[in-house]
Amino acid sequence: MSEVLTMDAPSASDAAAPVPVLEARGLSKRYGDTEAVTGLDLRVGPSEIYCLLGPNGAGKTTTIHLFLGFLEPTAGSVHVMGLDVAAAPLESKRRLAYIPEQVMLYRNLSGLENLEYFAALGGTGSLAPERLTDILVGAGLPRDAVGQRVSEYSKGMRQKVGIAIAIAKEAGALLLDEPTSGLDPQASNEFSELLERLRDRGVAVLMATHDLFRAKESGTRVGIMRHGRLVNEMSTDEIGHADLERIYLEHMHE
Amino acid sequence: MIKHIARKEFTDVVRDGRFRWCAALVGALLLVSLGHGWVQARQAQEELAAAQATARDHWESQGEKNPHSAAHYGIYAFKPRLALSFVDEGVDPYTGTSVWLEAHRQNEFLMRPAQDATAAQRVGALTAAQVLQNLVPLLIILLTFGVLAGEREQGTLRQLLATGIGRRELAVGKALGVAGALMLLLVPAAVVGAAALVVGSTGPAASPLARGTVLAGVYLAYFAAFVGLGLAVSAWARSARTALVVLVGVWVVNGLVAPRAAVDLSKWIHPTPSAVEFAHTLEQEMAAGVEGIERPDRAAFSEGLLAEYGVERAEDLPVNEVGLYLQESEEFGNRIFDRNYGALWDTFERQGLVHEALAVAAPLLAVRTLSMGLAGTDVEQHRHFATAAETYRRDMMRQMNLDLAENSRTGELYLAGPELWADVPPLQYDAPTLGWVLGNRLLSLLVLGAWLAGAVLLAAKRVRLAEVA
Amino acid sequence: MTLRTVLLNEWRLLAADRALRVVLGVFAVLFVYALANGMAWARFQERTVEAARTGNAERVAALEQELADIAAGGRPSSPFRDPRAPNVLGGARGARTAVLEPGPLTALAVGQSDLLPYYYDVSIYTNEASFQQNGEVENPLNLMVGRFDLAFVTIYLLPLLVLALSYNVLSEEREQGTLALTLSQPVSARDVVLAKLAFRAVLVVGLAAAVSLLGILATGGFGSLGRVLLWCGTVTVYALFWFALAAWVNGLRRSSAWNATVLVGAWLVLVVVLPAAVNIAAGLLHPLPSRVEMITAQREASNDAVNRRSELLARYLEDHPEMAGGVVAEEPGLGALAWAATDAVNTRLEEVTAVHDARRADQLALVRRYRFLSPALLAQEVLVDAAGTGDARFARFQSQVRAFADEWRQFFVPAILASERMDAGVLPDVPVFAFVDERPADVARRAVVPLLVLGGLVVLVSAGAAARLGRVRGAD
Repeated sequence: MSEVLTMDAPSASDAAAPVPVLEARGLSKRYGDTEAVTGLDLRVGPSEIYCLLGPNGAGKTTTIHLFLGFLEPTAGSVHVMGLDVAAAPLESKRRLAYIPEQVMLYRNLSGLENLEYFAALGGTGSLAPERLTDILVGAGLPRDAVGQRVSEYSKGMRQKVGIAIAIAKEAGALLLDEPTSGLDPQASNEFSELLERLRDRGVAVLMATHDLFRAKESGTRVGIMRHGRLVNEMSTDEIGHADLERIYLEHMHE
Repeated sequence: MIKHIARKEFTDVVRDGRFRWCAALVGALLLVSLGHGWVQARQAQEELAAAQATARDHWESQGEKNPHSAAHYGIYAFKPRLALSFVDEGVDPYTGTSVWLEAHRQNEFLMRPAQDATAAQRVGALTAAQVLQNLVPLLIILLTFGVLAGEREQGTLRQLLATGIGRRELAVGKALGVAGALMLLLVPAAVVGAAALVVGSTGPAASPLARGTVLAGVYLAYFAAFVGLGLAVSAWARSARTALVVLVGVWVVNGLVAPRAAVDLSKWIHPTPSAVEFAHTLEQEMAAGVEGIERPDRAAFSEGLLAEYGVERAEDLPVNEVGLYLQESEEFGNRIFDRNYGALWDTFERQGLVHEALAVAAPLLAVRTLSMGLAGTDVEQHRHFATAAETYRRDMMRQMNLDLAENSRTGELYLAGPELWADVPPLQYDAPTLGWVLGNRLLSLLVLGAWLAGAVLLAAKRVRLAEVA
Repeated sequence: MTLRTVLLNEWRLLAADRALRVVLGVFAVLFVYALANGMAWARFQERTVEAARTGNAERVAALEQELADIAAGGRPSSPFRDPRAPNVLGGARGARTAVLEPGPLTALAVGQSDLLPYYYDVSIYTNEASFQQNGEVENPLNLMVGRFDLAFVTIYLLPLLVLALSYNVLSEEREQGTLALTLSQPVSARDVVLAKLAFRAVLVVGLAAAVSLLGILATGGFGSLGRVLLWCGTVTVYALFWFALAAWVNGLRRSSAWNATVLVGAWLVLVVVLPAAVNIAAGLLHPLPSRVEMITAQREASNDAVNRRSELLARYLEDHPEMAGGVVAEEPGLGALAWAATDAVNTRLEEVTAVHDARRADQLALVRRYRFLSPALLAQEVLVDAAGTGDARFARFQSQVRAFADEWRQFFVPAILASERMDAGVLPDVPVFAFVDERPADVARRAVVPLLVLGGLVVLVSAGAAARLGRVRGAD
């Protein structure tokens, strides 16, 4: 299992001059009159799992889409390993892996074929089918489902293919948008374990979530967003579950 | 209840920008093609009538001549444009407009307008009939593909049915709404068409209003069939997109693939001879006769005639032997022409039947046949005129030959005068009746009826079985 | 890399999609049906041309035989058809059949070859009215509808295949949710769409080219490689235009249903409405008088000519000293008088035709100017021209026949005027018609402008599509 988790940890030289893996500087995104994200400053370093908390419409997904270059910032900038996303959109995406809230795949292709396609697009070069199968199984997909068409998959199985796609990319940063929404508790737990293993490999993770419990469990830091602003940021070591919930609710009722 | 649905659907459709654009486009094309057709038909009919009058004038002012010389001079017949030909010019551009009626020969119609057009013009001819047959169905498709599939996708179908309305009422209401929107387009066109008919029917009268009314009925049945088909597919399809793709597929087969496929299919099933073969056969049969039709022998004919009148020499006959012999060989020729041209036209009609039969796969073929028939521009009515012209030629030749035979003696120099030329009645063509046309077109009427009934039944069934979500 | 990856994936998607396979299969069947029809027509024309040649040879042989018999002391079969008379030897009895071989790629495009005559019997009596004769025996209904040939499939149906395959290249990815994952990879939407369309283009153009080449091989049309290349090139450019249009509409980021509606509308406007509008405009702005006035003119001229033969002959001899050759008999023969009348009628016909042709030229000029509005008209023009069944080749044939008829008259008319008799000895010197076919370079030259415009349209629409797609960053 562990040999499939071969994401590159940032090299030692990075530690000397600590360039954050993911960084937002004064990031703003406006749609017409509404401010989706306002003046966001965010840094996620290697081996960090940064959880963005906040209600619907707080700007979490927008932030992730800004990192992916799906959106152009109105002001400020986003950087991946020091690369300005606006200036080098493809280069920066090469260093990112992304799992959307709903992993949607080509229904007429098998999980293996989907992985093969996205992995090849990701620029990892073509991997042998056995290796891709190992990655899928490593991500939790039953071995006999690997060759089945995705149209027969459950939501959780699709999510696991999404994870496999992210793993195969061997990227230094992982963006997650509500990855556990709609998963059963067991699948969620497996997912958390996976995240920890990735963190141990030095991957920087930015995760948007509603789930306070999981944020406290898996995250190294949490940021609370409201109306597009980062209103609080704390390390999970410093606080307990109850504290987090209290702080969160306080912010929501302001 | 139905009234409310129809009204909502109507308002919905009429407010839709896409419908407005499409309807404006189709409506403009319909009016322009009607107007263009009318101007052209009128101009052509005037030219033809003038040419016919001149031809008659030429005939009457021949001066003194032997009747057989006059027969060789002959007269031209020009095919008139019927009153409704401005709606559907049919095969008219591809049949000749004039034929030379002369002694000894049945000639072909010459001067096909299409021969003066370029390949590009052949691609892009657009008559009112084509707008009605091709573009209006496409508009109907755009109007109907989403009526049920779209409501289902948006989730409003569930709500609608939850109000307690019956599915049949829903379908009828939607169909009526779409029909109402279509009428905004069709009623003005029908009014313009009828007005043009009343104002400017220059061609031979062949109950144009009755024909026009049936024509309108045929097109309405065709459109109704498409509305039914659109509803059925919209009820059946999983998504509006699927409904659209399937209906456009039906439209392509109906308007593009089937008509042309019928052309080549009809040629495979009922091949026609090449022009060279046809001319060669005709020439040979005219020279040597054919089984059952003997070429009259001049000497034997003379002997028979002498025996009949009981005289020794041709000069003693009370009639001019030459005139009688000319008539005899004219009649021989007529049988040969009937045989050859008859077979050719029969083949054309059998080819036409292939087109009509294929209407089971494409209602356009039935409608096109009926439309051309009612407009008087189909192959059968061209043949009808050709036959009338040929009958006229034969009567004229008989009159010339008999005049020669009765008013002169064998070997005499005989000249007839303007009285004889004037005595030949002018060519009077009566276009066939509505009953004749419809009687020829029973198959198409039947198939169109079947399409209408089938579409309605299919729509009823599909709406009954339609999934709500 | 991206290209290959997407191509492979598209191939898998296609292989897994039944509806697409059905569409492609149906089109393959239509292509083959069209080809079979075209080939049958090409064979029919070849047989007809052969029969016309044989008929001509038989006629000439019979004449030769009769002349030999007469030389040996026999009598002519009829005093009115004495082959020694130059107006008989050069008239209908001695007429030569001028034949236009079927266009090299007739099997691909029937074009105008079912409507326009491709052989004429040329005699001294050939005049403008002769060119009004009908072409092949054909059911007018079939002429009206037109043939189901590859040109038709290419012009009308191929765009629909292209659109059916590509109306949703991008919108579907978005609707099924795969676009987000795709764009999170280091690829641009433009490259992905390009690769997907490239895959479809290879499929569609490959199908069209394969069937075309099959037809060319089967009918031995490979004699003119230039025409084959022009055909394939035009099909490719025309298909690319529709792909580019689909790409552009996809770049507008609307739903698949919206794309489908708009693209079908674009097809309708470009392929059906605009060509029709051009023709309606041409008919309204430059109405063409019907040819019936030709008949009236011919009749009047011949009535007139019969009464003024001697006067006409004198004038003719003044106008055409080359025909008289200084050997006119003192007393003009009947043949000479008749010829003068014939010539007067011909001259009148030429006048009427000239007026008509001038009007027609105006109409055609308008059609030619506005054909640039429709890629379908442009492609059709080049395809039919490349096949050798277009208007240009028929016009060339007609003008060569006209020239040949002149040459034929030059040979016989002096003898008519001089009331001379001819014998079998002149037959080897009789003018012979040999059609000088257009060179592929001529065809290519005519194709340059329409192809450049078509190519320009492709570039323009592609650029628009690229700009639109370049702005697609995210999945919504």
